[in-house]
Amino acid sequence: MSEFGYIPEAPEQSFGNNKGIFKPKDIYDLTRADKYTNYGQLELIETKTGSGVSAIDFTAIKETEYNVHLLTINDFNVTTDGQPTGIRLSNGSFISSGYQWANQTGRAGGSFAENRSTSSTYLEIGRLNGNTTNEKLNGYVYFYNLGDSSKYSFLTHQTTYTNEFSAEYMMSFGSGVRPTADTVSGIRLTSTSGNITVTSASLYGIKEYS
Amino acid sequence: MGLIQVATNTVSGTSTNAIDLVGTTTDDVYMVAITNASTTSDGQIRTRVLVSSSADTSSEYDQASKALIANASFGNDALTNQNHWRFMFTGNQSYETQSAIFYLYNFNSSSEYSFVTNEVAGWTNTPRLYGLQGGGVQTEAQSCNGIQFYASSGNLSDGSQFTLFKVVS
Repeated sequence: MSEFGYIPEAPEQSFGNNKGIFKPKDIYDLTRADKYTNYGQLELIETKTGSGVSAIDFTAIKETEYNVHLLTINDFNVTTDGQPTGIRLSNGSFISSGYQWANQTGRAGGSFAENRSTSSTYLEIGRLNGNTTNEKLNGYVYFYNLGDSSKYSFLTHQTTYTNEFSAEYMMSFGSGVRPTADTVSGIRLTSTSGNITVTSASLYGIKEYS
Repeated sequence: MGLIQVATNTVSGTSTNAIDLVGTTTDDVYMVAITNASTTSDGQIRTRVLVSSSADTSSEYDQASKALIANASFGNDALTNQNHWRFMFTGNQSYETQSAIFYLYNFNSSSEYSFVTNEVAGWTNTPRLYGLQGGGVQTEAQSCNGIQFYASSGNLSDGSQFTLFKVVS
């Protein structure tokens, strides 16, 4: 019997080359060892919550395993009216300079705006956030190249929310970059002033196989 | 939402002009993830649908996107009756790469147009952050079994990666 319990012991299992009859536990163990063929997955890395915290940090993002990460955000709220929703990246410590972003926002009242920066302390994915019960932001962010030390790190996002002005509906979509080539090992969800509350924030990796 | 990888292609070397991702053969929604994509000459990475694994070059591609630029006013990128979609504006330097997520709709249906949404973040040859978010349609009701990405000038750069997923529940 093999170390994973399948019968027969030979041949050795590897991704793209599985043989034999497997029990559920075999599949579980082989999957954890990255030896079970299952092409392409959206893999949950971690889910976090926070209430009245300065930031939610993901510090074990498995950047060497994924070219693309997905962050979903459920009910982001700020304690200080009017603050943005921001992302900071870590290359060992979280970085507070050198970000660029370009976002289109729109409000149900009819106001649309181009929001951009070439020298930001964060990557913006929402603005004019509110601090009352019904002023919440939801959305997603895709991150690219975080584990590639030779490339810039990019993101795209779309958020849908009710802003600080009596919970007026607002949306944002856009792109961002940290134009420095290094390995990013952490993602921080935060704001620029005050604390944040988030019902849940889930980080996924998109598994690709060559 | 889950993803099942259908096809992938990482460009090796500098002699590949186009890559095909084949496998949109069910009525599910499909997703393409693109990282580290660029071209050997300044230009564009363009996109076409595949019909029976061949690129459809007919002038039936329409698109509308918002161009999101970090150091300038945004633009509207709208085209009709082209023989391709253009969602990525490329440079040929090391850091001038494109990252993107596309969702593909109705590709397998022989009675529907094929639709795509695009969200792109790229570093262009200017250089500057240039994003493009919007969508497009190919206005022929036909079954498309995949999608092609090609360089408008020169070839795709070494390391450009394109992966097709089927979206499953």
